[in-house]
Amino acid sequence: MTTLSPLGGPEDLRAQAGGTQPAIRIRGLSRSFGPVRALEDVSFDVPAGELTALLGENGAGKSTLLKILAGLQPPSGGSVTLFGREVDAYDPHTMLTEHSIAIVPQELSLLPDRTVAENILAGVEPGNRLFPSKRTMIRRTLELLSELELQLDPNTVVRTLDMATQQLVVVARSIARGCRVLILDEPTAMLTPAEADRLFALMAKLKAGGTTLLYVSHRMPEVFALADQIEVLRDGRHVASWRRSETTPEQAVAAMVGRELGQFTSRAELHPAADRSGSTPALAVAELSGRRHSGISFEVRPGEILGVAGLPDSGRVELLHNIFGAEKGTGGTVALSGRVYENRSPIASVAAKLAFVPGERRAQGLLTTMSVGDNIGVLTVRALSRLGLVRRGAFDRSTSERARALRVKTATIDQPITNLSGGNQQKAMLARWLAIEPTVLVLDEPTRGVDVGAKAEIYEQLFALSEGGVAMLCSSSDLPELLTITDRIAVLSEGRLVGIVDTASATEESIMTLATGAVASAA
Amino acid sequence: MTATSVLAPKASFDVRKLLHAREAGVFAALVLLFILGTVLSPNFAQSGNLLSVGQQISQIGIMAIGATFVIINGEIDLSVGSIYALAAISTGMAIAAGLAWPVAILIGLGVGAVAGLLNGLAVVLLGVPSFIVTLGSLSVFRGITLLISDGAPISLSAKQPGVAEFTLLGQGRLFGVVPMQLIIFAVIAALGVVLLSRSRLGFNTYAVGGNQEAARLVGINVKTVKLTAFVLSGLTAAIAGVLGLSFLSYVQGVTGTGLELTVISAVIIGGAALFGGSGTMWGTIIGVAFIGLLQNILNINGISSFWQTVVTGLVIVAAVAADTWQRKRKTRA
Repeated sequence: MTTLSPLGGPEDLRAQAGGTQPAIRIRGLSRSFGPVRALEDVSFDVPAGELTALLGENGAGKSTLLKILAGLQPPSGGSVTLFGREVDAYDPHTMLTEHSIAIVPQELSLLPDRTVAENILAGVEPGNRLFPSKRTMIRRTLELLSELELQLDPNTVVRTLDMATQQLVVVARSIARGCRVLILDEPTAMLTPAEADRLFALMAKLKAGGTTLLYVSHRMPEVFALADQIEVLRDGRHVASWRRSETTPEQAVAAMVGRELGQFTSRAELHPAADRSGSTPALAVAELSGRRHSGISFEVRPGEILGVAGLPDSGRVELLHNIFGAEKGTGGTVALSGRVYENRSPIASVAAKLAFVPGERRAQGLLTTMSVGDNIGVLTVRALSRLGLVRRGAFDRSTSERARALRVKTATIDQPITNLSGGNQQKAMLARWLAIEPTVLVLDEPTRGVDVGAKAEIYEQLFALSEGGVAMLCSSSDLPELLTITDRIAVLSEGRLVGIVDTASATEESIMTLATGAVASAA
Repeated sequence: MTATSVLAPKASFDVRKLLHAREAGVFAALVLLFILGTVLSPNFAQSGNLLSVGQQISQIGIMAIGATFVIINGEIDLSVGSIYALAAISTGMAIAAGLAWPVAILIGLGVGAVAGLLNGLAVVLLGVPSFIVTLGSLSVFRGITLLISDGAPISLSAKQPGVAEFTLLGQGRLFGVVPMQLIIFAVIAALGVVLLSRSRLGFNTYAVGGNQEAARLVGINVKTVKLTAFVLSGLTAAIAGVLGLSFLSYVQGVTGTGLELTVISAVIIGGAALFGGSGTMWGTIIGVAFIGLLQNILNINGISSFWQTVVTGLVIVAAVAADTWQRKRKTRA
């Protein structure tokens, strides 16, 4: 077998005894965040010139691994070797220029007000450093784009392009910097099937040109159509490694999910569909419209958990915000226990016992500079104040009580909330809202960035609340989660409600088919 | 990980917590400064000298109490020096026009509160960043001050009835020892401590400053919290302005120019972060004392006031650098 590496010295040859030298060799890689171990002793190879799929559920450690490979954070232990050279400095510049590895992140980091050419060649402008030649830039960009078979005007301002095209610009930017390894982090999450096909064509083109691709996705059909090699992470550990031909989608999903699925008893098993049709809906949404969603109608009865599924751009987050009053809608009504709730706002929702645990915990949930106790007690401040002064003793007793009830693990309630692990932060968010004794609880991504143990505790808590008659609306991108905790699932696609399915009879596939619009177009 | 669900309500006085508090570093620096002052000059630690320092820092201190609310909100108020002058001129003109001095004071304070309210409304309703709003109003309020006084200074004549009583506020000393200004500062500081650390408004101030979106989503009225902070800032600037008038019996349109920078410096040295959500009233009080002592030490050791400006500037940067360094070390640990 011939070596592809131009660097191949005698030592490398020995290392390649088993085959071609890998593009990326990961050995014993670990990364901890305080007590949380995001990655533990991960070792695998990414073969050069191939497409390797990296699979794993939310919180499996994929993002951490990618961040290390992109030089965004150093590992706590272990090594990464790229084309035979061990990485000794983990920063984005070194990774890109010395090791030729680039990442296409989920949040595209483009300069929105600059042109396609400027974005693609930013940092590697041709000609004079201070005054790059516009003409050469355009020419270079055109060459590159035609090489990649992308029909794009280099003079277009990036802001005017759609997400999918922007993504292609990011790929082109990486190629312009001469990257030999390209990492794509869930690139199809926001794409329509047609757009995804365009991306896949580009990926095939790159692979044919010798670029090594590392590709992260949840979507099995894609993975099995594209990948040569499959690596699976679970709970920070590397649990499986196959050639594509050696495995099946079922086997891969089982490896991803592992014990986790078995661990949570699903709601369908626990409470075989109670008949709630007689009661007044705790939450009734009729023809509700707003940003990125329109004409949505459904009902949630006391004690019921209704899931909301859909791709990230399906409008499900905006729908939740509209119901709670966090953002203004454009039409339709929301009724709570039969009474129409007009002029929705967070302040009014608190009074109406409509609770909302937002999905972006850090940006929308945590009072970042305050203590665990203050975070939990924020909704009791008014009730526990006298003449505008907070009764600190009563406040501390009440928040301690709430923290204990939800098993928030913290040394004291005076700890900064940011010291807690994601799971305990999330339990604190839930504890906060239980203070208003909600009749309707709206949750977005209730276990995002939460470890398995805390996840189970949160599920138990939600089931207990449902027993107590709380109606819940729970949006999640984690389909196994929705299948575990809900009674029914409303599926959104491109801002429209395309179906409400009974969880007992639903599968990940059936929901995805609805969410990607495959059924709607057929019907 | 050990599951320590020890959630006992905190003891009312926890030494460790006190040592870990952010203002502990500033307090240590204050103590060092005090020792340095004592070593450098025998006159420094005299009660007479320290009381005069107290007199000198009172107006800045009062303004810093209001500014702390604004800064913990994650906002800034650059217009306090202008509000100081506007309130002083308004009060001075009212007294000169023959109004009773308590009424004149109320007019001055009212003007300050309204000025603060206008700042707040522009920030909250127009959504313009407070830096820009108050950069503009710094100029507007100063201009109005010059306009209504026609650029002429106002001197209060001691012969006019009521002026003697009025000037007692700024010039008087309780039992002939403790400056009245210092007492007023102490009272306002005490109110500030209670309001920020014990009241619902204080709680909401930290919530809004730390994460405005999260605060909004738990039903905190973000607009009210911010408006209140700007009103408090305007009001405390006006109180300081009235005291300034009382102290000198004199005010002119350009009085108080640049005060905002000293006030903001004191709050920052006291440990409040400019991006909001953290800081304490005690920190601000220590920061004010630090600036006062520093200037006094430079003064009594005969160092030119030009150098004082340089040193104060360096101290601000050093204080924030030390804080940043400490926080970085903490997150790495």
